[in-house]
Amino acid sequence: MPKIKPRVPMGEQPPLQRIKNFKSVPYGYTEEEAAEEAARCIQCKKPKCEPACPVNIGIKEMNLLIAEKKFEEAYLLVKQDNMFPACSGRVCPQENQCEGDCILKKFDEPVAIGKLEAFIADWGQAHKIDVENTIVNNEDKHVAIVGSGPAGLACASECRKYGYAVTIYETLHKAGGVLQYGIPEFRLPKDIVDEEVRKLEDMGVKIVLNHTVGQNIYFYELTSQNDAVFLAMGAGAPKFMGIQGENPLDGVYSSNEFLIRANLMKAYKFPEWDTPIDVGETVAVIGAGNVAMDSARTALRLGAKEVHIIYRRTKEYAPAREEELHHALEEGIIFHELVNPIRFHGNDQGFIDYMELIKMELVEKKDGRLSPQPIEGSNFYLGVDTVIEALGTVPNRLFLDRAPEIKRDKKGVIIVDENHMTSVEGTFAGGDAASGAATVIKALGEGKRAAKSIHAYISMQNK
Amino acid sequence: MSFKITKMIDLDSIDFLVDVEAPEVAERFHPGQFVMLMTRVEGERIPMSVMKVEDGTISMFIRKLGKTSKELRDGMTSFENVIGPLGHGIEEKVYGNIVVVSDAVCGHAENYAICEALGKIEGNHLTSIQTFASKKEIYPDEYLTKSIADRHFITTEDGSFGDEGSYITTIKRLLDNGVKIDYVFGGGKLPTMKAISTILAINNIDNLFTTRQMMVDGSGMCGACRVYLDGEMKLACVDGPMFDSRKINWTRAMKRYGMFKKEEKKANDYYEAHKGGCGQCQK
Repeated sequence: MPKIKPRVPMGEQPPLQRIKNFKSVPYGYTEEEAAEEAARCIQCKKPKCEPACPVNIGIKEMNLLIAEKKFEEAYLLVKQDNMFPACSGRVCPQENQCEGDCILKKFDEPVAIGKLEAFIADWGQAHKIDVENTIVNNEDKHVAIVGSGPAGLACASECRKYGYAVTIYETLHKAGGVLQYGIPEFRLPKDIVDEEVRKLEDMGVKIVLNHTVGQNIYFYELTSQNDAVFLAMGAGAPKFMGIQGENPLDGVYSSNEFLIRANLMKAYKFPEWDTPIDVGETVAVIGAGNVAMDSARTALRLGAKEVHIIYRRTKEYAPAREEELHHALEEGIIFHELVNPIRFHGNDQGFIDYMELIKMELVEKKDGRLSPQPIEGSNFYLGVDTVIEALGTVPNRLFLDRAPEIKRDKKGVIIVDENHMTSVEGTFAGGDAASGAATVIKALGEGKRAAKSIHAYISMQNK
Repeated sequence: MSFKITKMIDLDSIDFLVDVEAPEVAERFHPGQFVMLMTRVEGERIPMSVMKVEDGTISMFIRKLGKTSKELRDGMTSFENVIGPLGHGIEEKVYGNIVVVSDAVCGHAENYAICEALGKIEGNHLTSIQTFASKKEIYPDEYLTKSIADRHFITTEDGSFGDEGSYITTIKRLLDNGVKIDYVFGGGKLPTMKAISTILAINNIDNLFTTRQMMVDGSGMCGACRVYLDGEMKLACVDGPMFDSRKINWTRAMKRYGMFKKEEKKANDYYEAHKGGCGQCQK
């Protein structure tokens, strides 16, 4: 085994500087740095990274091409498998996917596959490399896609490659779903999202904004006017703790509201932009997933003096990506392990004033799992001005209530077969709408696979 | 995108009527529903009530407060976005003796839309009650429900015209006189809605009141418009915006309005300082 060089570090804005702006935290690799990092890949005969990627990018070859500085070829290669590398390179939990299975991990840090993917995507965008897709003309066949988040976008690009006329319907006034409204600018710059969406429009995908299926356009209109429908409306409705004293109080946000204001509505540019956001001096974020980290770090950038993460388990159970947790802690976020809020208290103006919390302990259950249990009598208080509840999301019932023919489980998650088809023939579903809240890359993968099934389905209909 | 403003007139000292071309919204609108308005790319998504739809144009009543209405007054000719219709419309059917009440700009728009739709249905008898601050603040006749309701009452808060006080005064009088009321629709100020909910509960009258709260997306994503119905959380945007007033926790609903007071002032000041003319920015 040859000696493995250490991973090429990526430059980042220093924590004290970056908490004052919304610019990207990492600077991205230079060409030299990228080539050096890619050369660390030992080109395994049977690479383990590729099957670990939900969209199966040709990682081994990408690394080789970047190492040889054949950037254009590397870009085109990645784009074949994933139309949205600039996004996934930045937001994938690589440590549990490609990088998690990288053989180098046994000796040193794995190859920085995510950072290389983001590098090559940015390089392609900067050099305006056009991806030529040979599109078979099938435009007399129509596919409608509900939702322009990762699953919808991925399915749209693949269906378009099969030659179908593709229309995406999006509720909001900007396309991109969670990439647009959920993930903050400092983690995923919106210019990059817009550019990847624009590439899709260049391919001929039509995006109809401000249209909510089930609300101002009906499901039957889609099914009657299209040869197939793909449902990818995500899991966009917030969950609330439902603890005492919650709703009369101002200053209590769902993470969805907080992030939609900040990201989609650009409240961090208020008052140049019109949508306000109110952040007090002391902020508590409940939960420890990526959305919680995003909320906490956004609050800091909006001027909060102190930001607390409240989590009922210990840090190692936090569902956030390693990098997000690391960045959050670097920025001075205070992490409270093993605590749970039980009551909110307001002041006489109806604003949140302080929270009552209880300490928790992890108790081993019969099945061996550790479950957080409150320690009686351990109640304490934390003074807060703003609370953000980042407890996860559930499918939005707006659409489902109005399309009862689509079968779903108790939680409202659409039930699909192995081909991603729902209980309605010709209607498919994927992403969070069909699998509950998961990751961007999983949604991209499902969109892609569903497109294959849609193609098979439409082809069969015409035999 | 751009939605052309075709008409803008003063209704009184604080409200105006705005007509905007939005054919897709107009085609699908039902009374009770609302739209989201964005004046410009950088704009907020503002929930608005619709008074009337006609030939691809929607009419809205807008209050001359805040930054948006200043932009309108300063010569805005189109909106960036008119999104909708959103929320549930009311059932357009026979209710019997209906009373429709309103005491604020959005409420008056809803009052008009509801009277117009239900008045067309045989078997409905419509009484519309509209409350204004004073005699001089009463809208011009054509924007009142006078011509489309079977009976029309105006009340003024200062007593300078009609019954003194809110529409509650008139409803009480009708009930005292033994008038049978089968159904009440309404909207406007939260404290009045809270007060009437008790009267409707005592008299056991079915009703729907617009409980539209602060909203961001208007499609069930942000949860800002959460209200509590018999203790159960509902979202005004997707479950409403109209609910049975007897079930709403009004005290909770009313508290949500202080949240962005500071920011509203900041937005106003910023707009005033940047609308052009002072020349400071050219230096």
